[in-house]
Amino acid sequence: MGVGPSTKETSLHHFRDPLIKVLGEDEGIDLMGVLVFGSPEGNEEKIRVSRNAAVIAECSRADGVIVETDGWGNLDVDYVNCVNEIGERGIPVAGLNWSGTAGTFVVHSPYLGNVVDFNKNPEGIESNIVGENNYTEDDVRECVKKLKIAMLKKERGLK
Amino acid sequence: MAANDIELRRLVIKAFHMTDVEMGEENKITYNGKMTINNDCLDALVAKYSDVIDKVDVKIIEPGDHDRFTNTIMDIIPISVKVLGKCGEGITHTVTGVYIMPTGVDTEGKQAHEFGSSEGNLKDMLYLNRAGTPADDDYIVSFDITFKKGMGQERYAIIEAYRMIEEWMNVFRAQLKKFEGSKCTERHEYYDRIRKGQKKVLVIKEMIAHGAMLDTWIFPNEPSGVEGGKSLIDYGCTPIMLTPNEFRDGAIKAMN
Repeated sequence: MGVGPSTKETSLHHFRDPLIKVLGEDEGIDLMGVLVFGSPEGNEEKIRVSRNAAVIAECSRADGVIVETDGWGNLDVDYVNCVNEIGERGIPVAGLNWSGTAGTFVVHSPYLGNVVDFNKNPEGIESNIVGENNYTEDDVRECVKKLKIAMLKKERGLK
Repeated sequence: MAANDIELRRLVIKAFHMTDVEMGEENKITYNGKMTINNDCLDALVAKYSDVIDKVDVKIIEPGDHDRFTNTIMDIIPISVKVLGKCGEGITHTVTGVYIMPTGVDTEGKQAHEFGSSEGNLKDMLYLNRAGTPADDDYIVSFDITFKKGMGQERYAIIEAYRMIEEWMNVFRAQLKKFEGSKCTERHEYYDRIRKGQKKVLVIKEMIAHGAMLDTWIFPNEPSGVEGGKSLIDYGCTPIMLTPNEFRDGAIKAMN
């Protein structure tokens, strides 16, 4: 299994994705859609596709964005760039990402404050246990709460 | 549904729960929750994919019977089939209570993984009750693949392996497709809807698209399937928009 077994999302996870479930049930949110992009290997490509995603968020006039990935390490490059590009466009952004102790961000952005770390391993490591470090509905609710606060702050002109 | 909501389309997912999975005379599922598996078909299947596959071993793992060795777990796949309509609308049938678990190793003993391997004792290497893993009381069908030497690390071989699993699953899909919908054990209705006046929220999912075992496919013909699908790599990793219902309807297949 990919990067790595404990964080990787299975086909069953996608079919029963807690993120789409929780957002779909939230009557206070108009769920626009799910924008999927592949994480390529090369750095230039990573920057291009993650910026593309932020541009689509802006052009579709999203009030808020949740960025999620099941990867880490070099996948942080596109992840953080995507969050950063959205933040710089003035769009409230929250996220879901596995960090633990072994997978903390390898690049940084001032807009990572609303990213929920869905680590479940007691030592914070990639344990190779399939499914262990997958996000759950509780992680999603925490993330949605952060996004709602960020959207409210923007609406009220607060920082 | 709030008064201001506009419903765009509906997806109905009907689940048929399996309570009894055992070896039998044929690959068959029935309304009354019985699934039988027969391995006579495996030789022909392996022969068809013999460029990359050496052998396949299909076993039923009963709930709780996880104290056993497993090769590295490649995926957990639900058996689902489109009955009516396109992806994201109409009717989909799915099986609950049993999930397919492909595992892989090559003839030299090298595990089919790229970054971290989950081989070991199954009870230690599979975290149950997550969205993406079986529950305590679910059966698992272990689809253990032995690749030809070195093939567990080749992208085309991994894709071929998933095609082979799908071919095997299609026997069950064909039966599931004909199941009378009213006999389902669970029925879920999902809507793509505009909630007017509420905050518009976009979900962005970054998915792996590096190569072998680090690959994600999109829009297969059948939910969580392979045929007809395309790798995000082939799309140049460019962002693709899905409706929430398309996502819920198995539009994404992990090809790890």
